[in-house]
Amino acid sequence: MILTEHLTKRFGGLTAVHDLNLDIPQGQCFAFLGPNGAGKTTTIKLLAGLLKPTSGRALVGGHDIQKDPVAARKLIGFVPDMPFLYDKLDPVEFMLFIGQLYGMRRGEVEPAIDELFDVFDLNETRKQIIENLSHGTRQRLVIASALLHEPKVIIIDEPMVGLDPRSARVVKNVLKQRSRAGVTVFLSTHILSIAEELADRIGILNRGKLIATGTIDQLREMSGEVGALEDAFLALTPEEEEEGATREAP
Amino acid sequence: MSAVTFFRLLAEVNARMARRQVLALREKSYLMVSVVTLFVIGYWVVGYWIFRLGFTRLAEVPGLQAILLDRMLYLFFAFLFVMLVFSNIIIGYSTIFKSPETQWMLTLPVRSLDVFRWKLMETALLASWAFLFLSAPLMLAYGATRQVTGWFYMKVFVLFLPFTAIPAALGAIVILVIARYLHRRVFKWALFGIGAVGIACAAVFIKPMEAENFEPPQMVAALQHLMQNSRVTVQPILPSYWLASSMIAWGEGWSGRGAFFFMVLLSNAMMALLVCTVVSRRLFYDGWSRNHSQGRFELGVALLDKPITLPRVGVLEHLVNLWPRLNPATRALVIKDVRVFWRDTSQWSQFAIFFGLIGLYVLNLRSVAQEYKSESWGCFVSFLNLGASSMTLATLTTRFVFPQFSLEGRRLWIVGMVPYGLKRVLLEKFWLSSVCSAGITLALMLTSSWMLQVSSWQTLLFAATVVVMSFALCGIAVGIGALFPYFGSGAIVNCHDDNPARIVSGFGGTFCFVMSLVYVALVIGAEVWPMYSKFASSGVGSPGQPWGVLLSWTLVSLISVAAACIPMSLALKRVDSLEI
Repeated sequence: MILTEHLTKRFGGLTAVHDLNLDIPQGQCFAFLGPNGAGKTTTIKLLAGLLKPTSGRALVGGHDIQKDPVAARKLIGFVPDMPFLYDKLDPVEFMLFIGQLYGMRRGEVEPAIDELFDVFDLNETRKQIIENLSHGTRQRLVIASALLHEPKVIIIDEPMVGLDPRSARVVKNVLKQRSRAGVTVFLSTHILSIAEELADRIGILNRGKLIATGTIDQLREMSGEVGALEDAFLALTPEEEEEGATREAP
Repeated sequence: MSAVTFFRLLAEVNARMARRQVLALREKSYLMVSVVTLFVIGYWVVGYWIFRLGFTRLAEVPGLQAILLDRMLYLFFAFLFVMLVFSNIIIGYSTIFKSPETQWMLTLPVRSLDVFRWKLMETALLASWAFLFLSAPLMLAYGATRQVTGWFYMKVFVLFLPFTAIPAALGAIVILVIARYLHRRVFKWALFGIGAVGIACAAVFIKPMEAENFEPPQMVAALQHLMQNSRVTVQPILPSYWLASSMIAWGEGWSGRGAFFFMVLLSNAMMALLVCTVVSRRLFYDGWSRNHSQGRFELGVALLDKPITLPRVGVLEHLVNLWPRLNPATRALVIKDVRVFWRDTSQWSQFAIFFGLIGLYVLNLRSVAQEYKSESWGCFVSFLNLGASSMTLATLTTRFVFPQFSLEGRRLWIVGMVPYGLKRVLLEKFWLSSVCSAGITLALMLTSSWMLQVSSWQTLLFAATVVVMSFALCGIAVGIGALFPYFGSGAIVNCHDDNPARIVSGFGGTFCFVMSLVYVALVIGAEVWPMYSKFASSGVGSPGQPWGVLLSWTLVSLISVAAACIPMSLALKRVDSLEI
């Protein structure tokens, strides 16, 4: 469902993403791990079509995000690290607007909004202006709006930022349910417990290079560590850069 | 999704938000709403009165009313056109390439071309409405002079639509090329360069008329001179020419000629938009992506596509180090404040407009200087100049100094938690802004006084006044800024929290501006009084009765000390107990 082929992005002299090759099938929850500045957000922006790759390509649902962006974006529910909301709308107005932008009819949007508001506990804020909502409520609203059009692919950057434990649990449950229902989830995080809990497969990015992919057990095996994912992660992402090919599980 | 549906949905949402913003005015302070309303009505009434007076005076020149009136329209719209292009470039860069909304829109299932078109419309609206608002009194006065019907104003409004579309398209093309082919840091310098070239061209090409030319014997020659100098504005290739010609024709009742120029304007506007669309199809997405993919600016990469290592100059550090006994923490704060200001593009664009207007003001003084016929007029003009410089200073401090404390915003704890203390942070902001404002206003005052040929003792008096006023107005701005800070709603998705324009538009900003104006009025009033009484007895040009000047200066000093100290001491008390 998500395919990248030799995806590379350079910012001036810095290579933020280097020769990234990924193949994420339908229904898989893929977590992208990496230290700060590893290139996670850049990769997500490349997948969402916000940035043009220096070389290589990214395909979502078989559509090249550069050549056929509209078709690819129809399939994507995108939650960036710094989401945008219209301050002067209320949550219902915002959701109706988003639904219509994705070509949904009003009769389809309203029941979907009710359902998502129940799930994300947003009913009490229905008539409040967005600028008056708390940080966590806004984040829940952003995630709900990304799921409104029943996307086939969810791309989400640091999903738990600003969420309280209850809301974080709700988001994790929703992502798991959607993944089981056949939706591909691509999430980027540096919180290892989230990846441990949600991901079917994990990719570790360091200094723009994908240094390992596989399940948690496979990553442990590659790193030679038997403990928590944290140990495997630290073993695989040394402070000094090491040259070498991606370690991929068979 | 079709472009029409996309635009309709966005228009509906923006209309809903605009309605909500208007309704929210009820919750804002009456002071702010009253001040804004008063300014709007005042501008329209005074503007209409001045233009009407000017047109009536022109009508007194036998046989030349139509020629002069028409030429004035051509000149006005030519300048308006240039200003619109510049305004579209400044606003368009932020709206199209820096706005978080553009980034969000580019993740929607719509064509990037449609995103660009929407942003172009937004830019054109934002860049043009103020000019239309400002030119309305002139239009009304022109219509009244021509004794036109209400239908004329409707047609003029329709004429303005294609007229504003052309600079919008030109501005967008310039921005697209800059974003696609230049590093984003170059934009600031490009803007600065364009502004400097514009002012230099104005200085070279706009020549003041000699006062004696307005005497009846030279009148014909002077008129010929005026017509010759302004002939560039009547080139049939200019959109301003089509607009003015159409207006003049409709004003005189020649419907066919008016419609012809309207069609010329409309067809050219459509062509400009078409070219802009073609260019945007090739450059917008590439430019946007490139604009958000640039690492650290390197001159070599920007120009030669390879890095060049230049020695680090550190001008700012050297300048601050010239003050040897400066506390290291104060030094760090000064460097931080100057650096943040320099790198904030939202501050820069408004700073550029601000200084562009000051430049035009100074250039215009050349012609005023020539018209001294009596010392009373000279005295009047020199005090008007002091008033204009003081108002400039009040605007400068309200717009750029008042938001400084609020701009610390969520970072306030960084400076608040260090042993240095917020009190000294506030004092550092006061001294830094006072010194910078005094430097700018002093330069303006000395230049304008020199151009106006004001006597040296009066220049000295005014220079001292603006320096004192700089400290007082900065005291008002920094003090009220800390007493009424605006830190935004503090949520991650609110992209406006750091916007200085938004901070200024709140209650605190309005209050600061009103207090600054009251202070300016009191100081100028105190200075005018002895000069006026002196002039009434023995004329201007000498200090006259020393006790009057002494009393006036004592009064000015007392008012200024109170204006600086009261808000600053209240603010210092406030920050002492501020919960970070």
